[in-house]
Amino acid sequence: MSEEQPQRPAAPTKAARGQEAGGKAAAGAASAAGRAANKQPPAPDPRVLAAREQAERLSQAVVEQFGPEAVLESGAAHHKPMLRIVRERWLDAVDYLRTHPDWRLNYVECMAGTDYADRIEVVLFVQSTELGHFVCLKTQTPRDEAWLPSLVPAHPGVNWEEREIYDLLGVDFRGHPDLRRIMLDDDFVGHPLRKDYSVWAETERPLVDGQRP
Amino acid sequence: MAWLWQWHNAGLSWLPFLGMVIGAIVVLLIGLGVVTYEIYFERKVLGWMQGRIGPNRVGPLGLFQSFADILKLLIKEDVVPEKADRSLFLLAPVIAFIPSFMVLAVIPFSRTHVFTANLSIGALYYLALSAITIHGVMLGGWASNNKYALIGGMRSAAQMLSYEIPLGLSLVGVVLMAGSLNLNDIVSAQRTWWFVIPQILGFLVFLVAATAELNRTPFDLPEAESELVAGYHVEYTGFRFAFFMLTEYLYLFAMAGLAATLFLGGWLGPWLPGWLWFAIKVAAFIFFQFWLRATMPRLRVDQLMSFSWKVLLPVALLNLVITAVVKAWV
Amino acid sequence: MRTMALLDEANQVRTEEMLLNVGPQHPSTHGVFRLLVKISGETILDADPVIGYLHRGTEKLAEDLQYTQIIPYTDRLDYLAAMLNNYAFCHAVEEALDIQVPERAEYLRVILMEMQRIASHLLFIGTYLLDLGAMSPFLYVFQERERIVQLFNEISGARLTYNFMRIGGVKYDAPPGWLDKVRAFVPFMREKIKMYDSLITGNEIFLDRTRGVGVYDAETALAYGMSGINLRSTGFDWDLRRKKPYSIYDRFDFAVPLGQHGDCFDRYYLHLLEMGESLKIVEQALEQIPDTGPVLGKVPRLIRIPAGEYYSGIEGARGELGFFIVSDGKDKPYRLKIRKPSFVNLQLLPRLLRGQNMANLIAILGAVDIVLGEVDA
Repeated sequence: MSEEQPQRPAAPTKAARGQEAGGKAAAGAASAAGRAANKQPPAPDPRVLAAREQAERLSQAVVEQFGPEAVLESGAAHHKPMLRIVRERWLDAVDYLRTHPDWRLNYVECMAGTDYADRIEVVLFVQSTELGHFVCLKTQTPRDEAWLPSLVPAHPGVNWEEREIYDLLGVDFRGHPDLRRIMLDDDFVGHPLRKDYSVWAETERPLVDGQRP
Repeated sequence: MAWLWQWHNAGLSWLPFLGMVIGAIVVLLIGLGVVTYEIYFERKVLGWMQGRIGPNRVGPLGLFQSFADILKLLIKEDVVPEKADRSLFLLAPVIAFIPSFMVLAVIPFSRTHVFTANLSIGALYYLALSAITIHGVMLGGWASNNKYALIGGMRSAAQMLSYEIPLGLSLVGVVLMAGSLNLNDIVSAQRTWWFVIPQILGFLVFLVAATAELNRTPFDLPEAESELVAGYHVEYTGFRFAFFMLTEYLYLFAMAGLAATLFLGGWLGPWLPGWLWFAIKVAAFIFFQFWLRATMPRLRVDQLMSFSWKVLLPVALLNLVITAVVKAWV
Repeated sequence: MRTMALLDEANQVRTEEMLLNVGPQHPSTHGVFRLLVKISGETILDADPVIGYLHRGTEKLAEDLQYTQIIPYTDRLDYLAAMLNNYAFCHAVEEALDIQVPERAEYLRVILMEMQRIASHLLFIGTYLLDLGAMSPFLYVFQERERIVQLFNEISGARLTYNFMRIGGVKYDAPPGWLDKVRAFVPFMREKIKMYDSLITGNEIFLDRTRGVGVYDAETALAYGMSGINLRSTGFDWDLRRKKPYSIYDRFDFAVPLGQHGDCFDRYYLHLLEMGESLKIVEQALEQIPDTGPVLGKVPRLIRIPAGEYYSGIEGARGELGFFIVSDGKDKPYRLKIRKPSFVNLQLLPRLLRGQNMANLIAILGAVDIVLGEVDA
């Protein structure tokens, strides 16, 4: 049965897969040529194009339901379709895609938070076990007073991942049933995966009543 | 020297009393010696069954390993947890140990009953005394003021109490056949055949119940290492811990002696001297226990209970009824 | 009347709930793992896993390391399956850079990964039986694992943390005669699997303790993001080696064993069956492996990944092991996130434990098959 299953979410049919395999070689050659002569822009990778196209369809599904302001950006994360969703609609959109008949994104593979200079981004790699889609959903929050809606009502499996992001990046997941630090001590100060975190800054803070504020 | 061996038939004057004391000390030493080599034997047998060597460092073939371990335990600091119930904590190992040693008094080690009490209610005496040990175990678990120890102690109490009943009932079949509670008489009654043959059902019940009484695999729940860390004796160290260990292995010896006496004809046997026959039978029983330990996983506590009450007890009762009916009609 | 009153009184006996700390130092938590259990008698009312005692901040450390330098850190995640971790990371970087790995290296990798899977599953069986009170299997499995570890030692120079895979291939070619030793290992291991099957699978006590214990269905497993044997034990067919073939797994003929009941016994049995399937893969790889050839592809000396986000997952010994790399075009990752199967699988534990007997705690925890080095990262 695995033969019937699409190998890559970006290529839902066998024909497309063959095309893709051909494209892969072409892309390899193209990028090699691109490196050799730096002036020519490398030809767009068909896998990326397929991902973009799929992201576009995904975006339409979300826009139809939640309006155009729900989607910030659609594109590709490497070879996977990527959709950036506004944080107010994060839970709704993910839950909607979980039950949407064309997408059924029911199985979370990975959730990760990243600290950028101007925002904290949370990525959710989620896939459909029935339809074979594999997409990257994103949302973002400002670094100060970072908060996001929790996805636990839709995917109970992200419970600990969200706790970890809270612990290490300091994102407050609203609606999370049990938001505590998970890797570090409960009385740990700071969020180590933030880029401006410094061990020295935390420990050199003066003691106030025998405790660090 | 004959007076030494006949003290249990003589009146209580100073000579038989001296014999009694000497007998007790000799039995104690035998018991300690047996325990020492039981532990060594267990480790060697387990090692052999698990493809490893076992102790081989202290003395030739590791023969003195157990002495080294005992010495280590004796010179260790005796720690009493601060929050423990001190007096009970100190008392519990003693309560557990004394009966384990006292039951050896009625086991007939050889034809001439050297150093053993020719008690007319030997079987009953054994059961009654061994039940006292449960108190020591439970009190130890309670007094440690440790949750694991408490659960371990409670499990022990529940387990030993529930297996005491099938154990007792399996003895009754033998008692019915021999017509006596005196262990010496029971041995003598097996001259034609060992009771293991007519009492095979009783023997099987006895074997299972004895394993459970000894808290050995697959019934080693009270000290289930993977669940309860060590069970009731988790807080004990050094000398007091040694007492619990000693209790356990003395009971293994005593239970093996009881099994040999009741079902395997005790010291009876052709060609070889009686004490050697007894030793062989005891060693076989002990080996069986070690074998089980190398083979079996552990039962769950509720399965253990239902097994005792729903399987062993009815079987023991059935055995009793059959024995009584056969005895009445044949 | 009086008896009725007494009975009433007896029914109102005040029972007290007890908070039991299982761990951090406990023989059955397989590492430094703490489980706060609320029990009433021997029934578990609630459980709260506390992790992080082994947290080394691998993800943070990786941000200051070049890609090649990260490989030894992956060894220390799931230290029972270091080869698979090595591969998962190298694979993620290779995918990001579209690096072609030489044939011989691919086969060597597959052989090593499947042997590693066998070693890891062996240890699961040993420790699981030890948790259930049988001590012999634990000592038996180390004998077979020793052979695998010796083979790994010969090829990589290490017994536990191999640091053997490289981006674009493997560090060394197999020493002369090594492949023959692996070839001899396959039938040996097959016999041993049969032995374990006959030793353990039919044991009445073992069946009593594991059948129908810790049951969950495929829907729950998917919602909780479980993977690997924990997911397949529910009968849900999900093996990345099949669903999204990476490396050269599409060239091998092997089955994906599935459970039926989603209980602890199924999880145990799948480990046993998967070892057989891994042996099949090793056997086929030994047949197909080219005799000579490079084992390290053409890789730039300083590896820089173009700015972007890359995720790739493989079927680890405990489930889906994935690496998520955010690159800003430098030679060090901007952010590295590890999708740790043990960490995700462990989440379901409180739900499985509620209402269970204390003795089942160990049976259920053991069957989830966690390695704390991975959970805590």
